Amino acid sequence: MSTERFVIIGNGPAANEAATTLRQRAPQSGITVFGKETTRSYKPHLLPDVVAGRLDAEKIFASPEDYYNERDIQLRLGQKVVQVDFNKYQVILEHREVVSFDGLIIATGGKPRIPEPLEVFEDVMMTLKTTEDARLWIDRLARVDSVLMIGGDLTSLSLTRALINIGKKVFFIIDAESFWPLPFNERLHQEIHARLREKGVDVSSSRKIKRLTQLSDCSIQVETDCADFEVGIVGAFFGLVPDVRFLARSGLDIDRGILVDENLQTRFRNVFAAGDCAQVYNPVIRDYWVSIGYDNARTLGRIAALNMLGGMIAAQASPESIFSLNGVQVNTSWWMEF
Amino acid sequence: MPKVDITVEVCGMAGDGTIAAGGMINEAMSSGGYYVLGFDSYPAEIRGFGRCVTHSRIGSEEISALQEKTHILISLNDEQSRSRAPYLDNGAMVFFDSRPSAYITEDQSLVATLRPDSRLFGIPFSDLATKAAGSARGRNLTALGGFAAVCGIDPELFRHVITTKFESKGQKVLDINIKSFDAGYDYAHQRFSERFDRLFDGLEPDQGPKRVMLSGNYAIGKGAIDAGLQLYFGYPITPATPIMEYLAKALPSRGGRVVQMEDEIASIGAVLGASYTGARSMTATSGPGFALMTELITHGVMAEIPAVILDAQRGGPSTGLPTKTEQSDLHAAVFGGPGDSARIVIAPTNVSECYSFTVKSFQLAEKFQTPVIVLTDFFLDNRVENVPPLHSSESETRNVNVFPNDAQQGYYKRYSDTPDGISPRALPGMKGFNHVATGLEHSEKGAPDYSPENHQKMSEKRHRKIQSALSDLFEPEEFYGSSHHDVGVISWGSTFGSVLEATRQARQMGHNVAALKITSIYPYHKDTIRAFMLKCNNILIPELNFEGQLANLIGHLNTGDVHRLNLVTGSPIPPGAILSEIVKFVDGGSK
Amino acid sequence: MTNASAVDSGFTTIHDRAHPKVIFSTDPSDFDYMKVNVPCQSACPAFTNVPAYIRDIYEKRYGHSYELNRIVNLFPGTLGRICSRPCEKKCRHGEPELGQPVSICHLKRAASDFKELGRPFLSQMFSAIGKSVCIVGSGPAGLAAAHDLNAIGFNITILEAFDEPGGMLRYGIPEFRLPRDVLKNEIETILKMGITLKTGIRAGVDIAFEEIMTEYDATLIASGCYSSNRLGVSGENLRGVYSGLDLVMDISRGKTPDLGKKVIVIGAGFTAFDCARSALRLGAEDVTIFIRGVEEELRVTEDEILDAKREGVKIRGLSLTQRIVGEDHVGAVEFLRSRTGETGPNGRRRIHAIEGSEFLVEADSVIVAVGQSAEPNSAPGAKDGNGVLIGDRNTFKSSTSNLYLTGDFLTGPSTVIESVASGRKAAERIAQDLTGQKFREWVVKMQEAVITDRQRSWDFIPKQEMPSVMPISNRIMDQKVEVEQGLTQDQAFEEAKRCYLCYLHYEIDISKCIFCRYCIDNAPRDCIKLVSSVTLNDNGAIESFWETVDWQKVNAVVIDNSRCIRCGECVRVCPVDCISVTRVELVERNLLAGRL
Repeated sequence: MSTERFVIIGNGPAANEAATTLRQRAPQSGITVFGKETTRSYKPHLLPDVVAGRLDAEKIFASPEDYYNERDIQLRLGQKVVQVDFNKYQVILEHREVVSFDGLIIATGGKPRIPEPLEVFEDVMMTLKTTEDARLWIDRLARVDSVLMIGGDLTSLSLTRALINIGKKVFFIIDAESFWPLPFNERLHQEIHARLREKGVDVSSSRKIKRLTQLSDCSIQVETDCADFEVGIVGAFFGLVPDVRFLARSGLDIDRGILVDENLQTRFRNVFAAGDCAQVYNPVIRDYWVSIGYDNARTLGRIAALNMLGGMIAAQASPESIFSLNGVQVNTSWWMEF
Repeated sequence: MPKVDITVEVCGMAGDGTIAAGGMINEAMSSGGYYVLGFDSYPAEIRGFGRCVTHSRIGSEEISALQEKTHILISLNDEQSRSRAPYLDNGAMVFFDSRPSAYITEDQSLVATLRPDSRLFGIPFSDLATKAAGSARGRNLTALGGFAAVCGIDPELFRHVITTKFESKGQKVLDINIKSFDAGYDYAHQRFSERFDRLFDGLEPDQGPKRVMLSGNYAIGKGAIDAGLQLYFGYPITPATPIMEYLAKALPSRGGRVVQMEDEIASIGAVLGASYTGARSMTATSGPGFALMTELITHGVMAEIPAVILDAQRGGPSTGLPTKTEQSDLHAAVFGGPGDSARIVIAPTNVSECYSFTVKSFQLAEKFQTPVIVLTDFFLDNRVENVPPLHSSESETRNVNVFPNDAQQGYYKRYSDTPDGISPRALPGMKGFNHVATGLEHSEKGAPDYSPENHQKMSEKRHRKIQSALSDLFEPEEFYGSSHHDVGVISWGSTFGSVLEATRQARQMGHNVAALKITSIYPYHKDTIRAFMLKCNNILIPELNFEGQLANLIGHLNTGDVHRLNLVTGSPIPPGAILSEIVKFVDGGSK
Repeated sequence: MTNASAVDSGFTTIHDRAHPKVIFSTDPSDFDYMKVNVPCQSACPAFTNVPAYIRDIYEKRYGHSYELNRIVNLFPGTLGRICSRPCEKKCRHGEPELGQPVSICHLKRAASDFKELGRPFLSQMFSAIGKSVCIVGSGPAGLAAAHDLNAIGFNITILEAFDEPGGMLRYGIPEFRLPRDVLKNEIETILKMGITLKTGIRAGVDIAFEEIMTEYDATLIASGCYSSNRLGVSGENLRGVYSGLDLVMDISRGKTPDLGKKVIVIGAGFTAFDCARSALRLGAEDVTIFIRGVEEELRVTEDEILDAKREGVKIRGLSLTQRIVGEDHVGAVEFLRSRTGETGPNGRRRIHAIEGSEFLVEADSVIVAVGQSAEPNSAPGAKDGNGVLIGDRNTFKSSTSNLYLTGDFLTGPSTVIESVASGRKAAERIAQDLTGQKFREWVVKMQEAVITDRQRSWDFIPKQEMPSVMPISNRIMDQKVEVEQGLTQDQAFEEAKRCYLCYLHYEIDISKCIFCRYCIDNAPRDCIKLVSSVTLNDNGAIESFWETVDWQKVNAVVIDNSRCIRCGECVRVCPVDCISVTRVELVERNLLAGRL
């Protein structure tokens, strides 16, 4: 299948690695990578440092500018896939272009999770996953002096640190439900609580957000079950969920992520999913798991590419780095990297 | 380097409103105080399917040529715009319709051909226009709205242009267009957080010169009217037709007449007839029509009748490339026709000169009693520039007929052999100046005379007359001239703009280069040209023709060969092509 | 449309003499046309005339809009809230390149909300026949049958086992989705036509079927499905394990069981979702619905899923219930992970257990809502393995003469709109059997029309969001707070503008066309085609076009009605007025109207 056309949806670490691997092993093939962002592949976990002004925005890129070009991989940035037709083996882009493929690797990664009860306030809350998000943070932070963080994933912690360093007042509502790269227990809760307090963070004991109201450009009214107050920015940090909504009704099985077998193949021939968007059953931990983290994603991207070319490599998960998120087991090398 | 130097292209299918959109960009940016040079290319068919592209180079300093690389592409038809992808600069901004009416394949997609660093601005042109104004017809304006919002251009500039353009068509039409524009502006303003507000920041608001946006053809028409044109005879042909269209509207109200003749032979015949009576008259045509006229032009030479003939050159030979630009009628203009038929040939290089040369041509024709050929080309005719308001002084337009004095009454020699060759000319009806005007070789009195001595004498007289016009003609103009140059670039017509830009760039690179602009093609200023050639190690003559027609004409003035750059691509020679040619000679070559 | 072939093929095509420009057709090709071109009306089991009633809302004729609904589906106010909306899935505005479907259901509710008070409802009444029919059950199917039979001229008696009429509408749907006064009103409108309702009487228990069948000329059983299915796992009888349907019915009767803090709901249908949302209102803090497969295969509407999630209900997929754990009272549920397999004959994915993947989830109570079926009764006739009477789905007949079955009792659990349609069809059948006459028939009505004031820009109006009670805490404090508040009049107007009005048919008269292509230049999409010829299917409807780009081969300019979005631009720009507009609808025609 060396002259076949491979399409990769996503331009994160899994996609990057998959494209590289496909090119190495199938030199004659056509490879197209679709990234919905306009920036080339970067390391999202460095964004808090960019927001804090400690890291130049140019320093977060994962590969040199010409990386794809040199490997004759077509990179199409800022072009969003909105639908995949598995009868015709075509992807459909937001601007209504139809692109056929012989093999497809879905590596769309994760996007910030907003718990459904808070979805109505989505416009009021800010997340930090993309360079565009970072730009918005920088822009907004110039005009406000207080920030409320809700949730409690790793991004929220590094961002909190960064915000304190640049002299912002930080409020924090820890959400036990939110993604936490460790089993969340009372001891840990206390520890985080204490540590945040130490740094001068106002950790609220509220448990529920009742309402968020944008009062002005730089002021948001927060109503919780025990107190009302005003802040400049509300940040939502509930971890990531696989970014697979565009595949609804495509025929793929989607639970939290795209269901794949241990070889990362979906129910369709030559269609694989890799990285943060794939959900796989693992007999060792006897449950489904989703991988999160930069290095995991690269590994899975490579495996998907090798299997696309006829390999039969199983994705491995080491049980000690797996924890539960909303009923789905999650593997996080990301945590370890920190 | 100029603070602002940006090329914007609009590309679409015939019927998409591409040309109109490009025109509005030119107008808006011009009214914003920028220098603008615009040029459109469109399909050859009368009404049909084909690609239309407008190029607008917008700068904070005067512009003489188009740029090779496009910074901003506005696509009204992606399939057509794909052809523009290779011309896009790194990181170019591309505006395209993100909701085409049907699904498209990869080979119809514009964005599929773009480099990843392109900045994409997908805007649902058709949907927004329909939503705002009830019909997708205003989608070109929606695109402009998006362009204005992203590039931080004051939308009032566009709204003003739109109002001026559509006011006369009624409030409803105006509303549709304004709403369509606003829909694109608002969408892009909200949708794209990444904006380029400083892109066009090169000017302080009141520094902008008050300039008017004109095409070469318009300038020619206006020049003719200002020069007192009374009669225009013509037959439509691309790219000269707009001159006739303009005059048909503008001339009658000034007491003149425009007559569409049955062909070009009739047209030149009528012009000669009208001019014979003393009326200022002209015709405009292109290569194929000019070829038909040549026999009668030489009649004008022989009978010494004034005539102004504009040859708007296009790709040839024969029907050739009707909508492409070329400079390949020089031989025909100078030498075309039977016999030794010297006539005056001048060639403007920009829109302002299109005006002033047209004005000038009437006095030249009148004073020297000869057909005067003004050579333009498709690029020059159709490009638009914003130029200072055009006008002419009385001295430039007044009648310069050399009439016989009363003493000659009854003894009038229509073709008297004078030192400068100019024989005082009597108009029909002037009492006591009866004479014969004929295309047969004739004596001073006008009687047919085939004697060897007469033909020799009269030929000398006619040529002497033409040579004597040299002092009335524009001297070649030297740019960046000093005492010695590695390379001297000599150029004429629309190509000169590119030469000027290439020369400037070469000099910025540290090369010792100068340029010479020749606008008097025949007769030409031998001494000036030779002097320039002498101080240059290499002479380069870039032309938009295959034969090197100017080089053929003046090359003999150089002590060695002249270097030629002959491109017949149908498009203006890009400055870069000339620059790389220049660089070849400075890097070691010499004569 | 193939009017010419309609005559040739021998099917009835009647020209109405009073209105010469109206044609009624029963030609199958015209019904085929309707399926493709007016998919909403064809998708509705009751054939509700969707474009017409939406146009009424645009014209602010709410009462008329309501009436257009009521004549075929009887419960517009009710269905406008809880209908399963098969029409919206087919709405052409929802095609991928065109946006989102029109909120047909919400507009139905708007007609009900804004109709003039005191408007008399005109049912097309026939003169009395002098025969009587007993209907067992006053749910949607029973009431629909009662209404129709009564209108035709039969004497109707309904026997209802519960205290109040309405069946599942009254007892199976929580009040926060369907306020009782709306339902009561619509039921009363039916009953006051002169139908006798006897409540608290369980047929076969309080009165023998034999007795009923002797007293009435025909008997129709429409007693629904009230027997909850069981999981068949151990622990199902522990305290704290509820049947979903029983729970909903209890709540409907005003009971407030204590479900504890942590509730597990097992099931994937409307009842499961109703239970989960009711549980929150009963004070539960952590409610999770466990489903066997993936969320995409849930049988409830997307709005329902979203509303449940917003209120805090969680959904966990790929979980097969293994057993319910606890001593005396439930303590946890053990699940097994599942994986999806091949697609089964019903179009759904098969679910396979993954061995060895057991996991426990703690719970204070467990609600089992895995479907229901009809209860056996003592009526005579052929029965299935569960002892439930069986009948023919086309004739509605049981094996006993003059004993008919309809609704969920006949078909198993279905939707309200299917039940209404089933009840009406059964009524027509009974009337025909008892009198030997046909009273009504469905026909395709074609009528000359003109383009409307609809504008192409209306296609870009966003779908109007249903206002709902916010914040969430205000909803879940009470079972009776209706969550959806109904579109405002302005919203309904905007939403109505979105409808393409697919019942308008545009056609180019080729004998007048001058091939100027203005229509094509102004078309919003590739809906007008240059064709060399067309292919017809067996029914005579256009099947495909032979398009050509070669101008020499163009024989016609044709509007492809399956692509046409009825924007009317072509009609407006046509310089020779060669595009005609026809209004095409499915209507129910009274065959014996002369007897009135």
